[in-house]
Amino acid sequence: MKRIAGIRELSTVAILVAEVLFFAWYLWPEAGRTHPFFNLDNALLVLKYSSIYGIAAVGAAVVIISGGIDLAPGAVIALSGVVTGHLFVASGVGLGASVAAGVLVGLASGLLTSLLIVKVRLPPFIATLGMMGIARGVAFIITEGQYYDVSSRLAPGWRPLGLPADWLAPVVLLVLAVVFQILMTRFQWGRAVFSIGGNETAALFSGIAIGRIKTTVYVLGGVLAAVAGVVLVIVQGQGKADLATGYELDIIASAVVGGASLTGGRGSVAGAVLGTLIFGVLRNALPQIPGATFYDRLIVGVVVIVIVVMDQLMLRKK
Amino acid sequence: MLEFHRIEKSFGAIHALAGVSFEVAEGAAHALVGENGAGKSTLLKILAGLVRPDAGEIRWRGARLDVASPRDAIERGVGMVYQEMLCFPNLSVSGNIFAGRELCSRGRLLEREMRERTRELLDRLYLRIDPDAIAESLSAANRQLLQVARALAFKCQILVLDEPTTALTDAESDHLFDVLRDVKRQGTTILYVSHRLPEVFRLCDRITVLRDGAFVGTYDAPATEPSQIVRAMVGRELPPRGVDKPKGLSPQGRTPQGSTGGDKPSGLSIRGLSRPPCFRDVSIDVAAGEIVGVFGLVGSGRSELLETVFGLHQPAAGEIRIAGTPVRFRSAREAAAAGVALVPEERQRQGLMFNLDIRDNLVMPTSTIRGDVLIHREREFATAEAIRRDWRIKAASVGDAPDTMSGGNQQKVVVAKWLATSPRVLLLDEPTKGVDVGAKFEIHDMIRRQAAQGLAVLVVSSDLPEVLALADRVVVMREGRVQGELAAGEATEEAVMHLATQDQPSALALRASADEKGLSPHSPHPSPPPAA
Repeated sequence: MKRIAGIRELSTVAILVAEVLFFAWYLWPEAGRTHPFFNLDNALLVLKYSSIYGIAAVGAAVVIISGGIDLAPGAVIALSGVVTGHLFVASGVGLGASVAAGVLVGLASGLLTSLLIVKVRLPPFIATLGMMGIARGVAFIITEGQYYDVSSRLAPGWRPLGLPADWLAPVVLLVLAVVFQILMTRFQWGRAVFSIGGNETAALFSGIAIGRIKTTVYVLGGVLAAVAGVVLVIVQGQGKADLATGYELDIIASAVVGGASLTGGRGSVAGAVLGTLIFGVLRNALPQIPGATFYDRLIVGVVVIVIVVMDQLMLRKK
Repeated sequence: MLEFHRIEKSFGAIHALAGVSFEVAEGAAHALVGENGAGKSTLLKILAGLVRPDAGEIRWRGARLDVASPRDAIERGVGMVYQEMLCFPNLSVSGNIFAGRELCSRGRLLEREMRERTRELLDRLYLRIDPDAIAESLSAANRQLLQVARALAFKCQILVLDEPTTALTDAESDHLFDVLRDVKRQGTTILYVSHRLPEVFRLCDRITVLRDGAFVGTYDAPATEPSQIVRAMVGRELPPRGVDKPKGLSPQGRTPQGSTGGDKPSGLSIRGLSRPPCFRDVSIDVAAGEIVGVFGLVGSGRSELLETVFGLHQPAAGEIRIAGTPVRFRSAREAAAAGVALVPEERQRQGLMFNLDIRDNLVMPTSTIRGDVLIHREREFATAEAIRRDWRIKAASVGDAPDTMSGGNQQKVVVAKWLATSPRVLLLDEPTKGVDVGAKFEIHDMIRRQAAQGLAVLVVSSDLPEVLALADRVVVMREGRVQGELAAGEATEEAVMHLATQDQPSALALRASADEKGLSPHSPHPSPPPAA
């Protein structure tokens, strides 16, 4: 399992490198001008926005590896962002407490989701579809169509965790990705998640506590989405209810492009993070190509299919 | 004549078929036997159009038979009956038979014609089932016969059956054989794949043996002894049946071990356990060091009994004691932690995680019970490697996926992963189902050695010779109740079958006569089938 994952991640890196080289070549500027894509500022920009997706995609990868699916992360990002924004801006609560409350929103929604899946035995698709509506709905009820101007309340030149604000998202992602990659590959818990996704019945017969593991999976999925939401609100400076609309599909696509199989039991956290970078580069570079803006979504869709087909061809060869 | 000519097929580095050639006479019943991994399944998949050969060809009546897809196979007169009983449980009987090939007129289904054709077909197979019955409601045997009917429905010239009796009782198998003989008489060529040699000898005229992807030989059934076939299959001599059961370990001679002294029973004690509608009022004692066999036909509630003891279901009434202490497990995890192990019936579905490697599978129950937090890679590899050597598991590396091994070796992994937990009570559900003779022998040997060290073993099997060979005592179940208990000395096939099928004397008679001779000529006319 480890060896296969290693090869798979290398191929994702190769795709990412090829993509960057392609855009670097395609957008090569006339002599004397700075490269519009291949420069450090732009790289940081790509990293900053991809990281929001990436944090949630770490959770999505774990959920998908366990054989489930989570449609709620986009809505949970919005709700946690709104709750943080509301407390921090409208209620005058401190930043630390507001952030903690935002993350707790993810914990609560994850708990509710896992309750629906483990106890009520709803299919994950339905349970998380419902949660998607609930979380988004609550976000709208809280804001009543308003938005919270978080940036105005942050001191200018504020350095979260001693870092420039732009680095916050990438650093949070890096830490979480490393932690979860290790959890999934070196801990019994991670192996149990792989077991359940690979063959839930055999896992049950092997004495694995399926209910408990699934609960932790969905709770962590919710918490990670909430962390992404809190970071997004801080980085972007606005808390509003239509935040991160449609993110859930990009997040799932990132995990899948990174090697996660929707039938469960296969995938990796590192792959999912690389997957978000592949999409991050696309989202950043395509608008810079004249006339390509309208092809943006089309190209993203084609990329998902092409990469997954390549993956399956490689797997079939083995 | 159906000819297989130098068929080759490799999957990666594995030569599944290394140039296999043999001939099947038209209108004959021809058996294909071999251990797991011998290449039978691959050959069948080529014939069914699921796999393309790398080289070689199949010829039918002198012309090349190049099957491109399962649908193509049907159109060329090849009918397949698979072991796993592929059927659409939600469709009716006639819906199943015509699935994908519905009779239509201008896009409208001709329900009445299909029902009529189905009825004719069922009559031909002596099947008393309603064409409108939903497949789900049929017994396992009738579902299997439905597959035969489906294969025969469309001008079938070659009928291929892959282990069709796995889930059938003896009476049901008898019916299937009657049907097959009839089909043969009508001129259809039969290619029959099975592990069960007595069946092969009963039905088939000639027997082809494959071993390790190569052709070993084709034998004329009437002129061949079953032992010759076994030798050809395994490539070595197996101990005769008598030695199969070590005399030193007879229940009289064996002293109960691990008992805590006094009259306190060690091992497993089940008292009045009920879980309607699966089983009722079951009481079984298994002392430490004892092997108790549970025999019963499919549907007698045996698997459910084991799963209940293992904490997967909650009993409605009754008590389970382990080493004298009453227990009530709410999950498999609790049962495993208390020293109970269950080797489940279906290794593909319940036994193995195919996305993980062999090592993960081998250490999973142990590390789960131990409550490990971290994965100790080196230690696990060492443990897994030791198990692989002990059990002679044929795998390139314990770091490979389980599906690189043959079925027999996969089963060894499932049994071994539970024995690695050092259980006190071992529950085995069909421990050698679909396993080749060599692996079966080794698994039996391992079970006996574990029992000799004080393990209480409860083994459920519908393979009667297996139960008789392994068990110190045999408990017979029927329709969820214990019908009786026989000590090893008095447990003969007839006595056990008598208890298991008390209301089916005709089946008993047929079975007894068939088994005495090993390959009895059967009554030429099919007996009326038992009601579904």
